[in-house]
Amino acid sequence: MKKNRWKMAVPSYGIFTLCALIWLLPIFTAFVKSFQINGLGNYKYVLTYEKISYFRVVFNSMLIAVSSAVIVTIITTLAAFAFSKMKFSGGKVLYGAVLACLAVPVAAVTSPLFATIKNFGLLDKHLGVIVPLVAFNAPMMLLMIKNYFDTIPDELLESARIDGANSFRIWYEFMIPLSIPIIANVLVLTFIYSWNDYLVPLLVMRSEENYTVTLAAQYFVSSTYQSPADVARIYAVMMLLTFPSIIVYLFSQKFLVGGITSGSVKG
Amino acid sequence: MNKLGKKNNWTAYLYILPLMIFSFALIYYCIICTIGTSFTDWNGMSKEMNFVGLKNYTKMVHDKTFWTAVVNNIIFFFGTVFVQAAVGFLLAVLLKNRLPGSNIFKAIYFMPIAMATSIITAIFKIIMDPTNGTLNAFLRAAGLKIFAVSWLGDQRFALLSVIIVNIFQWMGFSMIIYYASLMSLPDDVYEAAKIDGAGFWKTTLSVTLPMLKGTTNVLVILGIVGSLKTFDIVKLLTGGGPGRSSTVMNTYLYEKAFKDFNAGGAASIGVAILIIAVIMSFLQIRFGKED
Repeated sequence: MKKNRWKMAVPSYGIFTLCALIWLLPIFTAFVKSFQINGLGNYKYVLTYEKISYFRVVFNSMLIAVSSAVIVTIITTLAAFAFSKMKFSGGKVLYGAVLACLAVPVAAVTSPLFATIKNFGLLDKHLGVIVPLVAFNAPMMLLMIKNYFDTIPDELLESARIDGANSFRIWYEFMIPLSIPIIANVLVLTFIYSWNDYLVPLLVMRSEENYTVTLAAQYFVSSTYQSPADVARIYAVMMLLTFPSIIVYLFSQKFLVGGITSGSVKG
Repeated sequence: MNKLGKKNNWTAYLYILPLMIFSFALIYYCIICTIGTSFTDWNGMSKEMNFVGLKNYTKMVHDKTFWTAVVNNIIFFFGTVFVQAAVGFLLAVLLKNRLPGSNIFKAIYFMPIAMATSIITAIFKIIMDPTNGTLNAFLRAAGLKIFAVSWLGDQRFALLSVIIVNIFQWMGFSMIIYYASLMSLPDDVYEAAKIDGAGFWKTTLSVTLPMLKGTTNVLVILGIVGSLKTFDIVKLLTGGGPGRSSTVMNTYLYEKAFKDFNAGGAASIGVAILIIAVIMSFLQIRFGKED
């Protein structure tokens, strides 16, 4: 067995390294060039920029991403419990209808979405971004959690029920603890998708103090000519803006890799 | 076997209620509004909205830009999904051997997914700058001057550049999906396939790949859905230009809604996208059932 693994070692590492170089190059370039000309001064420039406060921007994204992640996790674990473990008329149809939403791009329904947000008075408010993000991310998370719940044997539930527990207690004390891996995964994924979203904040947020990381990134990039000093500053902006999500990503490595696949892989 | 006792468990409705309110209600309301708006001349702002029947649709069908966008979506799909899957598959197969350091490599390939498209496009815009960008500087230094084109400013290359950036961002996803499937294959099946001493490529292409047909299917479906959803990367990298060379349906729709104030026309494109998505889903359900 061991010989088999190592037979391909040299070409494997060759390919790995080549791909790693290609994949690291853009970020590495941005990182190195962010120190050009003015060195750390570039970073200082961004952090003290008057019209947009870096910390406020990160706070906005953080608030939105965490809220979305938590809300999505709660509503999908509740719903998945019903779809997976309960029989009720219309169950299959409703589940299919929610899954069908997976194919709906936010971009295709921008006008009604914008009008709705406006009518509820949520323009330029964090909640106005959180609600659509929850709505559009929930179907995929529901799919993942329901598939996971399906693998929990019904017999285990039976014994809990016989002991007299009502469904909520079963959900809370039984399904949730058994599903920690997938729940962690849903939390992290929803966080990342919400943090990275551009279109919803673009539609909803109006004032600079409510900009998210994704909007702020665009604010600094313009199509007019940029001097090398400008470019270095822009790289510094990008490094600062992407830093939080990379930290979250590296920190959550364990949860992420296993989980994405459990919902989507059938073959 | 009744899962939780009662035959028609009404408490289930309570459990799905939050999801229904947040997701189902909002999304279906938007879909219905979009369908309805597509039959009007609404501009997105005023209270005035007149029924115009199929006018938006006839205009759309005769609109050259619309068809350019559709074609671009198709090109985008083929350009991204298959390259991402091919590279991802190769890497996954090699990573399956779990050589030391594999985890680091995996993390590197997957990291772009954790970075916002908004930031990746901003970085690539600078890298792909024709005169000062690192990419062309590198090509010139490597003696490949003819490749040092205007990646984002030339009609012939804009869509290609978008595809390249997308592959950069999403290859890791295909890789992870293939990797997980490979890891779930029973070891003896995998090893038995290698026994007859066939070379790496033969084994991989004629044994491993067919074993993962289901996974490939999933990636194709996700790819179709994903390409129909493409918006951020095009808008941020090229804005749909130069001209219309990289316009996709979603960016054209957005433009119609918020630049031309033609919410009716935008809605008809939205409906077209939804119809395509529905057709694709049906096709997948019919043809994907083999596994």
